[in-house]
Amino acid sequence: MPAETESLESLLAQACAEIAAADSVPALALVRARYLGRKGSVAAQLRGLGELAEPERLRQGRLANETKQGIEQAVAARREALETGDRARALGAHRLDPTLPGASPPTGHLHPITRVMRDMVGFFTSLGFAIEEGPEVDSEYNNFEALNIGADHPARDEQDTLYVEGGRLLRTHTSTVQIRAMTGRTPPLRFIAPGRVYRHDLSPRHSPMFHQIEGFLVDERVTFGDLKGVLETFGRFLMGEGVRLRFRANHFPFTEPSGEMDYSCLLCDGKGCATCSQSGWIEWGGCGMIHPRVLERCGIDPTRWQGFAFGMSLDRTAMLRQGLPLMRHLFDGDLRVLEQL
Amino acid sequence: MRLSLAWLAEFVDLPPAADLIEGLCVGGFEDVCIDTPGPDLSAIRVGHVVERAPHPNADRLSVCRVDVGEGEPLEIVCGAPNVAAGQKVAVACVGTTLPDGRTLERAKLRGVTSNGMILSARELGLSEEHAGILVLDADARVGAPLGEVLGSSGRVLEVGLTPNRGDAASVLGMAREVRALFGGDLRLPEITPDERGAPARGALQVSIEAPDACHAYLARVVRGVQHVASPDWLQRKLEASGIRSRGVVVDVTNLVLLEFGQPLHAFDLRRLRGAEVRVRRAHAGEKLATLDGEVRELDPRDLVIADAERAIALAGVMGGRETEVDATTVDVLIESAHFDPASVRRSARRHGIRSEASYRFERGVDPEGVLRAADRAARLIAELASGEVAEGTLEARGEPVPLASEIRFEVERANRLLGTAFTAAEAIALLARVDVDAREKVPGVLACRAPSHRGDIQIAEDLAEELVRIHGVEKIPATLPTGTLTPVELPRLWSLGERAKDGLVAAGLCECVSFPFVPDGDARRLGLTEADPRWRHLRVLNPVKEEEAWLRSSLVPSLLRLARQNLDRQVDPVRIFELSRVFRPQEQPQPPAEPLWIAGLITAPRQRRLWDPASPPPLFFELKGIAEKLLNELGCMASLRAGAGEPYHHPGAAAAILAGDQVIGSLGELHPDVAARFGIDVPCALVELDLERLAQAPPRSARFREVSRFPQVRRDLAVFIAREQPAEALLAAIAKTAGADLHSVELFDRYDGAGVPEGRVSLAFRLVFQRLDRTLTDAEVVSAVERVIRMLSHRFGGELR
Repeated sequence: MPAETESLESLLAQACAEIAAADSVPALALVRARYLGRKGSVAAQLRGLGELAEPERLRQGRLANETKQGIEQAVAARREALETGDRARALGAHRLDPTLPGASPPTGHLHPITRVMRDMVGFFTSLGFAIEEGPEVDSEYNNFEALNIGADHPARDEQDTLYVEGGRLLRTHTSTVQIRAMTGRTPPLRFIAPGRVYRHDLSPRHSPMFHQIEGFLVDERVTFGDLKGVLETFGRFLMGEGVRLRFRANHFPFTEPSGEMDYSCLLCDGKGCATCSQSGWIEWGGCGMIHPRVLERCGIDPTRWQGFAFGMSLDRTAMLRQGLPLMRHLFDGDLRVLEQL
Repeated sequence: MRLSLAWLAEFVDLPPAADLIEGLCVGGFEDVCIDTPGPDLSAIRVGHVVERAPHPNADRLSVCRVDVGEGEPLEIVCGAPNVAAGQKVAVACVGTTLPDGRTLERAKLRGVTSNGMILSARELGLSEEHAGILVLDADARVGAPLGEVLGSSGRVLEVGLTPNRGDAASVLGMAREVRALFGGDLRLPEITPDERGAPARGALQVSIEAPDACHAYLARVVRGVQHVASPDWLQRKLEASGIRSRGVVVDVTNLVLLEFGQPLHAFDLRRLRGAEVRVRRAHAGEKLATLDGEVRELDPRDLVIADAERAIALAGVMGGRETEVDATTVDVLIESAHFDPASVRRSARRHGIRSEASYRFERGVDPEGVLRAADRAARLIAELASGEVAEGTLEARGEPVPLASEIRFEVERANRLLGTAFTAAEAIALLARVDVDAREKVPGVLACRAPSHRGDIQIAEDLAEELVRIHGVEKIPATLPTGTLTPVELPRLWSLGERAKDGLVAAGLCECVSFPFVPDGDARRLGLTEADPRWRHLRVLNPVKEEEAWLRSSLVPSLLRLARQNLDRQVDPVRIFELSRVFRPQEQPQPPAEPLWIAGLITAPRQRRLWDPASPPPLFFELKGIAEKLLNELGCMASLRAGAGEPYHHPGAAAAILAGDQVIGSLGELHPDVAARFGIDVPCALVELDLERLAQAPPRSARFREVSRFPQVRRDLAVFIAREQPAEALLAAIAKTAGADLHSVELFDRYDGAGVPEGRVSLAFRLVFQRLDRTLTDAEVVSAVERVIRMLSHRFGGELR
């Protein structure tokens, strides 16, 4: 066996041993350079080939290339092994306790009333009701007279009105907006008027400020039955399919006929509890067909147009939907409570 | 209104209690309930005294054998003098708990075992009566729980009336409702008095001098009444309605008021001067001592009842002291009148009186019930106080009550309003149940006349309401409206407000809703000047709390109070906001302005939490970042003007928020003096935005800009600059000087530690250059940066670090 052959074979074996011994990617690169680099062992072997005769030169050349490939394969395999090991070590080095608390950005909360209000507004705008707003300090005319509650009407006593200087008052209901929205407009009209209203009342069950949403629809053919249908659909949308609604006859000077709506108590499911005064029902609001005189006062011909109106307070709904036991939790800004919601 | 349920049952057959409550509730009455006042008597039984024998060892005791409906009759020792064989009595057996809480045990009394106790009214907790045992009606069922026997007379129906239903404020009125809703017949008490006395006509003269305020005045005279206590049944009926017994004559007038809803007043006839009753307006300066013990200065608009010399009653509201019926009264004048509701209401309000009479007059009394009530009262007084009813009545008439006109009721139109399909016959039948006389003159058109007690029924829609009520509102089919749908656009202010809430919630603030009522002096507490639009507050004339009689002109005091309360509750940190209108008075007759504001407050945390940066940004900059992000999200081109904050801001850490030249809000740390006035002891910063002004600000356009595919070149510059130099001006100058190839400039570091010359600060800017059309050459960038360095040096005295 010629010396070159023997030396090439031993070169491969030697290289493989060194490659296996290389314990890092840079060490491996040095080994590779030693054998395969321009001044490496394999190159040195090849440099001697020119002196050989044709068949021997071919054979030796092939052998040298095989050696070179063998070394390359061994290097690649070793590199693969080393890199995998490096990654595994690196992964192993980065270990943290996933049960430590997250670096949470501060969390804000919408008020329960805002949430209910948005649900309500979303429902009615989807039915084509536009939003109309009015001032909270309004005239006696808009709050009472225009709604058929004259100066000597006993209903004024029930409203517990808060008066402000300058002959005005804090509106006791959002019905004031009916007059503003209807006057000067031609039906068909569909409006809601969400907003704050005020009463002189500070009992535990009531609050001097609360929120109402007023809605009204004026068209040629709109019935008391439509009013019931819209409110029943709304009640289920707002409080879930399981809620029961009850309509009661009632009286408001600005609607005729008038009704009042109750929904089954969300806390006790209508069985009776302290929140619903054992009745199983929560009073929701009033409704009815707009009184022809109110339409007339807004310049709408009551022989052609008719309409329904409703007004419900949403504070209790906001409380019950989130299980707040007391009305004051809504308004005393206690973050220990509001941040739960 | 509270009425004895048993009394109502005298007038009409009642359905079971639960049905009655539900029916009245759905039929238009509010807060309906049945109440059983007094002690729980269900454990006490009705016993029959079979035999009574004297006690062998005690004179005052007797030994009774009492049948209690089960087992052998019990042997019971009784000390009451009035016990007798044959009586029905209230018995507590051994083991029963008495109303006073004692549990009865078997006891030996002078050698005889007593197996129970026969009870007095006092022991039952029913009254103070303790002269002897309570003797029950002879037909009480032996063994029945006592509650069942007494209870029905004790049960009280409580009903809230809507203001239009004055007609229902009586037993008769409620009986009519029960009949309308459940059917049945009315049973009315005897009314006609036995007129045995001398004619009333001679007793005095009645005249009405204010015919607009008194439509009818009628009086009856009963002579020779005795002062006796009212019988038990009468007292119990009054008690059920919360009226105390005041002697039989007054009790009868109250009874008839409750019975028929017609207020009555009894005068001591002999105390009237000049044999005259005049219904007139009060004279200026006239005084009247009313029954409640007050002396009232009358108003010339008050309607009074007067004799020849003086006012003796405030008409329809309250009687006078000097002519009141008392133990010495012999002859009685019973007044039954019909006063104008508005007149009564105004007098009652003027004098702050709410009486049973004024309550009913204000809501409308049946104009045809005047005589009936006077008759009934005269009859009862004669019966119970042994008086003689004078023959005839004394009467005067004012302007007649406008007669209810005929109402044209088109059945189809009502159906169109209600969404129902009533036939004319059905409508007639339903209306008949509320005593409306309806006749079909033309097919489908009813001519209707409401009964005299239903003055509230005036137009066809009122009749439609009655149809709904009597038919049952729950039976009206629920449908959905049809019509043209037009797209809805939310008002800009509304959507802006909702988006602003979302923006602050995203920044970690919690929404609060607070009352607008504030105490006096908030403007001073905030350090505002009198020229400030927030200086004047709108005053509430009848505040809920005397100490909070003003409406807020700014959200800041509300937020500061909420912050303080939460700090007191150990909440840390406090991050809150509120969106609300505030109130600013304008020159009359302008209504107050109600601008819509959103305001937020954050406090510096007292305690560090895990992962918090070692040096968090100053509070001002945290809030500034929140405000900038919010304005950006609201689509508003806004800028800050440093040092133009509010009087309640720290003068060194405040800025105005502007859109164009318009100030739309502010931002700043809280002034330490203001913090002290509101009791806040941690650093605190505030941001406010006037949403109405914000809504008018030019919108920020978000449009596509070409993105370069050539590389960016970055250069960082650190410069020493005078401390007081605002950074914003530097950034603007750099942007201008660096030329068109500058892509962005950013202030990325600020350092004033070791190595920085006195009075200066090191600011580090990162300049990014980039062109859309080609790669920049090094020379171009170097030249731009050198221009910037020269500019900083010349204009700002900047010195490269």
